Amino acid sequence: MQKAKLEQNQHAKPISASVNAVLTGFVGGLFWSALGLLAYYFHFTEIRPNMILEPWALGAWKTKWLGTVISLIVIGLFGIGAALLYYIALRKFRTIWIGIGYGAILFALVFFVLNPLFPSLNPLHDLNYNTIITTLCLYILFGVFVGYSISYEYNEQNFRKHHEDKDNESLKTV
Amino acid sequence: MDRQKTMLPIPDNVAEIEDYMKRRIGLGDSFDLGVRKIKILKKDVHLYYTNGLCDTSFIMRILMEIVHINDNEKYSSQLEKIVENRTIHQSVEIVETMDEVVDQVLSGLIAIIVDGETEALIVDTRSYPGRQPEEPDTEKVVRGSRDGFVENIIINTALTRRRIRDERLRFEMNKVGERSKTDIAIAYVKDIADEDLLDIIRKEIKSINVDGLTMADKAVEEFIVKQGYNPYPVVRYTERADVAATHLLEGHILIYVDTSPSVIITPTTYFHHVQHAEEYRQSAAVGTFIRWTRFFGILASIFLLPLWMLFVLQPDLLPDKISYIGPNDKSSVPVLVQIFLADLGIEFLRIAAIHTPTPLSTAMGLIAAVLIGQIAVDVGLFIPEVILYVSIASVGTFATPSYELSAANKIARTFLLIIVAIFKVPGMVIGTTIFILFLAQMRSLNTPYLWPLLPFNFRAFMQILVRRSTPGSKIRPSIVHPRNRYKQPT
Repeated sequence: MQKAKLEQNQHAKPISASVNAVLTGFVGGLFWSALGLLAYYFHFTEIRPNMILEPWALGAWKTKWLGTVISLIVIGLFGIGAALLYYIALRKFRTIWIGIGYGAILFALVFFVLNPLFPSLNPLHDLNYNTIITTLCLYILFGVFVGYSISYEYNEQNFRKHHEDKDNESLKTV
Repeated sequence: MDRQKTMLPIPDNVAEIEDYMKRRIGLGDSFDLGVRKIKILKKDVHLYYTNGLCDTSFIMRILMEIVHINDNEKYSSQLEKIVENRTIHQSVEIVETMDEVVDQVLSGLIAIIVDGETEALIVDTRSYPGRQPEEPDTEKVVRGSRDGFVENIIINTALTRRRIRDERLRFEMNKVGERSKTDIAIAYVKDIADEDLLDIIRKEIKSINVDGLTMADKAVEEFIVKQGYNPYPVVRYTERADVAATHLLEGHILIYVDTSPSVIITPTTYFHHVQHAEEYRQSAAVGTFIRWTRFFGILASIFLLPLWMLFVLQPDLLPDKISYIGPNDKSSVPVLVQIFLADLGIEFLRIAAIHTPTPLSTAMGLIAAVLIGQIAVDVGLFIPEVILYVSIASVGTFATPSYELSAANKIARTFLLIIVAIFKVPGMVIGTTIFILFLAQMRSLNTPYLWPLLPFNFRAFMQILVRRSTPGSKIRPSIVHPRNRYKQPT
């Protein structure tokens, strides 16, 4: 009992590729929307992460700091969705360009298709240059973050499996 | 194999050998090559050596013992065997070609050749000029071992072996360089290191084809990683034996190059360059604190100046609460030019400080502080803010543990500054995006450069953010593809 409590006796389990995708999506959403908040703070963009809460009728708190924290987390949850989608459809591609493209597609999805959901979000041609560029860059970086990570992890696990087989075989022959 | 055939066997006549040595390595022309001829039981015995690379006291002991053969033995038919037996040294090797004799003599070993034999005894009496292990200037710690690597590969491998007595630790020796014949050792722990990476490194080192490696590890690095004009360092160097041993145990492969006090650690990512041994000599909490402070310094060294430049150009970007930031005084010199001038000044200082002798550098520091600091403001060349922000960015540069990384970050900062000055907000945003994507797509020896941030690996990234205590860090980083994942066998 005593022994199990020691830090060094706890065993770390390997993370599976799909769990890794979920983690990556969440952290990616959180991290890049936090950067988006910083960009909003310095007037790089007119869009605040809190925009994500607009479709829901909530209290006045949703524009305050609590709303900001919750929107970052909500964006993180949406990030999980985006990551799982990538994991299902695109994980086999290794190049970084697929991630860049994926980010751009997500941007188009939010700003063209889902635009009506957000009353305060102007149509694209009414946004200023800085906003469009900043937001697009954030989406691209998110796309690369999610895409590159998932593809890399997928290839890594394949590689590891392949290697373990090889190691086992070489042991058998000895 | 082909070279083996063309090697010249040792002639069975010492006069012929001496003749050959005169022609081949300039015996008699070069003052540092010598031959000692003695007669043992009426046979000629020659001893070839290179002055300065071998220890005279050992050679005298060996000679004394060999000369005593005259008093104790009668028959000269087995002379070479007797000489070998009487050579009181643990490291005696028999070679059969002149090429090996020449190589070994020029490395500082001595060759003993008995007339009439086609073999030579090579005795390792090397003693190279060099210094004792001392604390490396670039990686100082408050606590911890103070023995750093030196210019002698044998001492360096010994310092490592002192820390890892594992029977699976390997040092593979290679000789590289057509003329310099530099020793390069590949170090790894056999059941941990990734075989694929090992093969790549072996192959790359074998294929180095150059006359000499006078710049030692740096030249080797350029042959192995082929980074071209990319400023970012794709391997890490260390001069600390404990850092080297830690990386070996983590599954990294190290390259030791003779005549250099630093070893190459492969594979390396960006985040290897932002860690320092000091963090691991303090408690986990303090280590984490130091690390975070350092991260802020490194971020400041890249982004602070471009960001401030942007606010100078577009003060309306600032939130109301911090709208006081920005130049209060006006200067007739554009701010961008001021930043570049101040940066250039600091660069002068840094470059000058490297090769200025210590007594002069104090004076230089004084002059520079007064010159760049006060007077430049007084005459209206700089506004005070420029000095402030350039100084913070420079201190951030100095806080970067890896010198190579800090230099590369400086180039990135300059790139961002220029692009911000031209394009303002879009320049800052797109410039940063390109910067991050550029780092992310880099690969050194098949390792993504921004791992574990991008590609993201949660567990490894937490190891970067938080310095784990030693019992708590149980897994070797997956980036090295360790063949055995667990550091702490249970």
